[in-house]
Amino acid sequence: MWAILSGIEGNIAAYEAVLADIKRQRVKVEQLYILGDIVAANPDSEKVIKRIQNPLPGELEPQVCIGWWEEQCFALHGLGSTAEPTELIARFGKETAKLLWDSLSRETVQWLRNCHFGFFELDCLLIHGSTISVSDELTPQTPPWQMLDRLQRVQANHLFCGRSGQVFEYQLQGGSVNSSVMTLDQPHPVQTITAPKRRVVGVGNVGRELGKATYTLYSPYSDSLEFKTVYYGSKKGFGN
Amino acid sequence: MKIAVMSCIHGNYAALDAVLLDIDQQQAEKIYCLGDLVGYGPYPNAVVEQIRSLDIPTVQGCWDEDIVEGLNACECSYPSLLAEKRGKIAHEWTNKQVNPEVREYLAQLPHTYKEDNLCFVHGSPNSNHEYLLPEMDAFTALERVLSSDADILFCGHTHVPYVRTLDSGQLQVTVHQPSKNEQPTVSFNTPLKRIINVGSVGEPRHGRPNATYVIYDTETTAVNLREVEYDYQTTCAAILDAGLPPIFAWRLARGLEFAEKADDPTHVCER
Repeated sequence: MWAILSGIEGNIAAYEAVLADIKRQRVKVEQLYILGDIVAANPDSEKVIKRIQNPLPGELEPQVCIGWWEEQCFALHGLGSTAEPTELIARFGKETAKLLWDSLSRETVQWLRNCHFGFFELDCLLIHGSTISVSDELTPQTPPWQMLDRLQRVQANHLFCGRSGQVFEYQLQGGSVNSSVMTLDQPHPVQTITAPKRRVVGVGNVGRELGKATYTLYSPYSDSLEFKTVYYGSKKGFGN
Repeated sequence: MKIAVMSCIHGNYAALDAVLLDIDQQQAEKIYCLGDLVGYGPYPNAVVEQIRSLDIPTVQGCWDEDIVEGLNACECSYPSLLAEKRGKIAHEWTNKQVNPEVREYLAQLPHTYKEDNLCFVHGSPNSNHEYLLPEMDAFTALERVLSSDADILFCGHTHVPYVRTLDSGQLQVTVHQPSKNEQPTVSFNTPLKRIINVGSVGEPRHGRPNATYVIYDTETTAVNLREVEYDYQTTCAAILDAGLPPIFAWRLARGLEFAEKADDPTHVCER
C-alpha cells in the first residue's frame, strides 16, 4: 500500500495527524509519497522539512517531489527556471513573497532543489501538477483530451497529482477518433484509433484547511484506491 | 475566400519569390506565414523585408526566436551532434547578418495568430519547437487542435506538408468525488478538426527540391498542397558563396534532412 499526500504547506500539526492516521491503517503502508507544496509562506515550513528529513524510528522515509510553492522558492532564491517569482507575486502579492523568503533558510532551499520533479513507479506517475509543469492544475472539470495528453506524455496508466488540492478519481473509460492523413504523394486510409482506459487521481491536500487533512491510499497490486479525511485539533474525533 | 499559408522560408529568397508568383496565379486573396523566415539560407534580411513589405500576418518560428533571444534550443532539437554543430554555425552566421530592423521585427512576432476558426502556429500551440508529425498519436494531435480553440490548425516546422483530418472524436469519462453523489459516465464528443502542415518554402524535406505551401478555401474547406519548382541551384550557389556549411546546399538540392526524426519530436525544450 502507498500513502500519497500533497500540500502540507508548512502545517506541521496537519502532517503529524496524517502520519498518525497512516500508522493506524490495518494494511501496512510501504511507501509514503509527498507530491510537493511541503512549504508555503508559513513560519512552520522549516519544522515540516526537519520532520520529513528526520523520520522517527519505525516510520517510513518519505519520497518527496517538488510542488508549486517549492518552485516559487527557487525563483525567489535565483535557482529557478524564471528569474523573478512573477507567478507568486501576481497571485499572492509581495508581502507573501517576503514571508516565504523569511520562512526558509538557504540550506533548506538547496535541499528542496535536490528533490525530484516526480516519480514513475510501475505504470503510475506521481507528480505535483502534471507532466507539463508544477502549475498545471488538473481538476474534475479538466477536459478529457487534456487529461489523456498528460498521461500519454509519459505513457502512464495512472497519474496521481496534488495541485488542485481536491480529492477525485477521474476515469477515462475509453474512446475513439477517426484519423486520416493526406500527403503530397498519397492519401492514407482512414484509421480508427481507440483510447485505452486510464485514470487521473487528485490526492487531496494536507495543510491548507485548518483542522482537516485529506490524502490517498493506493494499492498498486490490487488497484484499490481509498481517499482519507483526517480531522485534527479542535475538529478531532470526526475522522473516517 | 482562398488563402495561402506558407512557412519555413529560411532565408531562401528565390523560393519565396517563386511561391509568391504561384500564390498570385492561384488568386489567393490573403497570405499568412508561419515563421522561420531566417536560418540556414543566405538571404535572411531580404526575406524579412519582403514579408514586411507585403504586410503578411506572420507568427514567430523557432529560428526567429533564437535570433532574438539567443540560441535557446537544447540538443534534443537536433537528431545528432553533427546536426547540432551545423545548426549552431548557421545560427551564428545569421545572427551576424541580420540588421537591427529585421531583429526588431522578428522580436515582435506573436507565437500564435487566430482568425475566425483558423489558428496559425509555427510548431504547435504549446511551443514553436514541438513537431506535429503526421504519425503523432491521434488523440495527442486532437488535443493540440482543441487547445488552440480552432477547427483548423495550420503549422509548419517539420518541412513536410500534410493534411490530417480528425473526425468523430469521443471519450467517456466517469468522475468520482467522495463529497458528491455517484456521477454517471459522460461522453465527450468533438466535431471535425484538421491539422494542415504547410511544408516549407525554402528548405523542403519531402524528397524533392520544390518549394511547398498550401492554398485553403475558407468556404469549401478544400486544401491544395502546392509544390512549386524554382531555380534552387541559385540558392545553393549563394549558400556556398556565403560560407555556410555545404551540406545545406546538398540537402536543398535533394529536399532531404531528417531533423524531424529526433528521438522525441514532441519534446518541448525549456532551456
